[in-house]
Amino acid sequence: MTFLRTLRSAAAAMLLLTLPLAAADLDTPTGPPLLTVSGAIDHTNDGVTAVFDLAMLEAMERRSFTTRTIWTNGEQHFTGVSLRHLMEAVGARGGHLRAIAINDYAVDIPREDWEADGPIVAYRNNGAPMSVRHKGPLWIVYPYDSDPAYRSEKIYARSIWQLARIAVRE
Amino acid sequence: MQIPPRFARARPGRATVPQTAVAGLALVLWAMLVVWLGWLVLREIDAFSTANSDNLQWSLSQADVEFLQFRLALKDAEDAPDALDNLRLRFDIFYSRMATMSSGKLFRSLHDSRQYAGPQERVQGFLDESVPLIDASDAALHAALPRISARAESVAADVRAFSLAALAAFAEVSDDRREGITRLMIYMAVVLMALFFGLTLLAFTLFRLFRLARKRADEIQIAGARMQTIVETSPNAIVVTDESGTVRVFNAAAERLFGYSRTEACGRIAAEFLIAPGYRQPEQNDVFAFAEERRRPLPEERQFETVLQTRSGRSFPAELSVDRAEAEDPLYVAYIRDISRWKDAEEMLTEARDRALAGERSKSEFLAVMSHEMRTPLNGLLGTMQLMRDHSLTERQTELLDRMQSSGKLLLDLVNDVLDLAKFEAGKMEAVSAPFSLPRLLDGVVETALPLAETYGNALSWRWAGPAGAGVFGDARRLRQVLLNLVGNALKFTRDGAVELEVEYLDAAQGELEIRVIDTGIGIREADLIRIFNDFETLDSSYARETGGTGLGLGIAQRFTRLMGGSIGAESEPGEGSLFWVRLPLPPVPGFPEPAFPDNAAPDVRPALRLDVLVVEDNEVNRFILREMLEAAGHTVTLAENGRAGVRRAAEHRFDVILMDISMPVMDGTSATKHIRGGHGASAATPIIALTAHAFPEEREQFYQTGMTACLTKPIDRALLLRGLEEAVSELPEAPPLPPAPAETASERSTLLDDRLLSHFLTDFPRDKVDLLVTRFVEETDNDIATLSGSDPGNPDLAALAHRCAGASGTFGAEALRLALVQIEARIKRGAPPDPAQLRALEGLWQQSRAALRARLGRTLAAPLSPQDG
Repeated sequence: MTFLRTLRSAAAAMLLLTLPLAAADLDTPTGPPLLTVSGAIDHTNDGVTAVFDLAMLEAMERRSFTTRTIWTNGEQHFTGVSLRHLMEAVGARGGHLRAIAINDYAVDIPREDWEADGPIVAYRNNGAPMSVRHKGPLWIVYPYDSDPAYRSEKIYARSIWQLARIAVRE
Repeated sequence: MQIPPRFARARPGRATVPQTAVAGLALVLWAMLVVWLGWLVLREIDAFSTANSDNLQWSLSQADVEFLQFRLALKDAEDAPDALDNLRLRFDIFYSRMATMSSGKLFRSLHDSRQYAGPQERVQGFLDESVPLIDASDAALHAALPRISARAESVAADVRAFSLAALAAFAEVSDDRREGITRLMIYMAVVLMALFFGLTLLAFTLFRLFRLARKRADEIQIAGARMQTIVETSPNAIVVTDESGTVRVFNAAAERLFGYSRTEACGRIAAEFLIAPGYRQPEQNDVFAFAEERRRPLPEERQFETVLQTRSGRSFPAELSVDRAEAEDPLYVAYIRDISRWKDAEEMLTEARDRALAGERSKSEFLAVMSHEMRTPLNGLLGTMQLMRDHSLTERQTELLDRMQSSGKLLLDLVNDVLDLAKFEAGKMEAVSAPFSLPRLLDGVVETALPLAETYGNALSWRWAGPAGAGVFGDARRLRQVLLNLVGNALKFTRDGAVELEVEYLDAAQGELEIRVIDTGIGIREADLIRIFNDFETLDSSYARETGGTGLGLGIAQRFTRLMGGSIGAESEPGEGSLFWVRLPLPPVPGFPEPAFPDNAAPDVRPALRLDVLVVEDNEVNRFILREMLEAAGHTVTLAENGRAGVRRAAEHRFDVILMDISMPVMDGTSATKHIRGGHGASAATPIIALTAHAFPEEREQFYQTGMTACLTKPIDRALLLRGLEEAVSELPEAPPLPPAPAETASERSTLLDDRLLSHFLTDFPRDKVDLLVTRFVEETDNDIATLSGSDPGNPDLAALAHRCAGASGTFGAEALRLALVQIEARIKRGAPPDPAQLRALEGLWQQSRAALRARLGRTLAAPLSPQDG
């Protein structure tokens, strides 16, 4: 995995070198990268992408809520960063984003979803960091109990776990 | 046109309550059904609105795919040790998938399924086994790879089976769900059907209601048109106003009657232009009080007459019939009829009736006056005939005089009857209620009718049946007349038989008295009984023709009986006799003195007193007759030809009694009486007897008020006159103040000695006894009279003495003496001291009586009496 990451980083660095340098106002990840945001974004830290490690995410304004999900048993407390906040951090310009999981599951989330400030990119479940075995390390979670509109198949489909990459699209 | 509410009101819906109840129940059920269905649908919508899962098929297929990727990674790792990280990742992803499948909400429902639970447990077992190996160091993991591979190989079928079981289970769940939805759809369809049915029913009902309403509207319109026709064709004017009096309806007849057109009249205040001036204000005319008070007229206020006015200003009497139609907007409906012609007719009719009544009255008056006028000359004739008997006549002359007298008496009876009838018909007759002695009245009746009885050879008497009574309250004169009629009738139809009067109180309280006149005559057939009381009814009987009669007697008797509040009737058996009965309310007078003589054949009384009489009478014949009669009876008579002369005479001299005619020129009897009583003349306290031909009760009352003591009816009968004088002087309480009008036959008996009584006495006792008794009587009476005439008026023994002496005198027939003694006794009992002159007069009276007795008894008494006679 590290290897792949390194490989990818190298590729990205190579790409960066060939393109005019964009504003690099994001911190550079120090730990293992958890999330890569690419596409129509204004702020990057790794060539044309923005890469986040857990520390970076945890450094951002955190949001948490308690809700039940159809995949878990009982109430769950989620802590993470608001998707909106994240998109603002990367200066997303697109109308929607494509979220891609480790297992290559991919789904589109429209802009209004994050602008409504519903979903978060959770990194803690019940106070503990999430392993891949338990749908970690990142999981886009909606507050399903707060609004029946979040209890639809469309939203369930957008609730992507084992999130690895986000591509913002025009 | 306003419709009266009776027509406008729709027929009341029958069975409204059950219909409403059913409709309400249906509505509630319906609402419940809809709510229930709504709840079902909402629940379903709720279930649908939130998804229970993300894509199931994806999850299941992903499990397969992820397991395969894991196995591929296994294989890669066996060949290339640096692929261990990828193996770990693939393991974690598969692990995560399986965790989701065991803990996810969607899959929890499958845990009970054996096909699912078994493989799932085995796969989970494999994962749990593998976790320590995967998490171990690369070397250890590498070493364990073959084992993991083998295990993965063995659970591959389970992964597959578990996916398939989940699919099947979800298919089942899906089927259930579809079935649920189908059921819901069916429910909805049913409810929809019910709704449709209900709506159809509602539409049908509304349609029916609409048709009903239209029909009623039509009916109302027809009724309205009919009412319009009725109102318009009514011959009476119909005016309808609202509460404020504004005219709303004015029919054609009203237009004709008042002269206003409908458009002119409607909208105006009815009272301001339809009612005649002077009748408009409530204080002028209160018949419209109900309208003022804005209420319904009371039943007695609904019909009235008032004066209305036409457009031209003509006022006319009108009859109104008004009522108020109660509604939201109350209306007064008035039917108006012009009654001018009717009023005129009524006036004419009243006038005609008044004229007819006046005519009838004047006819009655004429009859009464004529009868009265006829009586005066008749009285003259009869009086003169009586006087002629005082002169010596030949036998032939006496016979002729008898005939003349009987014809005259018959004529007098006739005239009297007609006068009674006329008075009765003129309504001038009233029954009086005064105390009188019933036995005495009956005595009088028997006495009066005795000569008639003797004529036909009949015995006549009266008796009490049951306990005897004495004084009663009633109209003695009418009763006497009734009884004389009945007795006379009975005597006329009986030959050589007996007529008896039976008197009986019908009840213990002695309120009602029955007098029965029983004869042994020819009787009356039953068929005739009903008509004998009719006027001018004479039965076809030789007796009737023989005896004569007006046929008015029984009719008058019946009228008088009814006048006195009684009843009269007859029963008869042809050939055996008749019974006439009279029932009268004659209540007894308490404490009335017993008759001095229980003998029911008590003789008529004769005045033996020498009275100084003033006769005030304008009619010369009457004056002559009165003087002759009075002087023949031993009285002294002074004459006065009118009231003024009478007053003058009365002032000059003290008379014992004054006879006063009522109607006289110069000064009438009433005024004269007032003058005499009012003045201080010598005769101011002298009893005054009215002489009148027409003594109606109210007139008589007037006489008494002016100070007259008694009243005698003309024509004057000698016996009645003398008795009247005697009663006036003695002021006996029991005698009726006015003796009956029909003349009684004056019996020419001695005034001093009642021969009949004496004869009884003489025949009842042996001669020697008679002598002894007479001698003792004479002795005792000599003493008693001496005591009485010489004693002081205040002597307390006088009454007892007079009573004893009177009893003895009666036995021996010394009637005049007895009467004088009775008067003295009565006076004392009334509490008045006896008149000393009366006491002194006893002596002379006794002398005469004794002389008469002596003469009657002849020589037998001569001897014992002679010594005292000297």
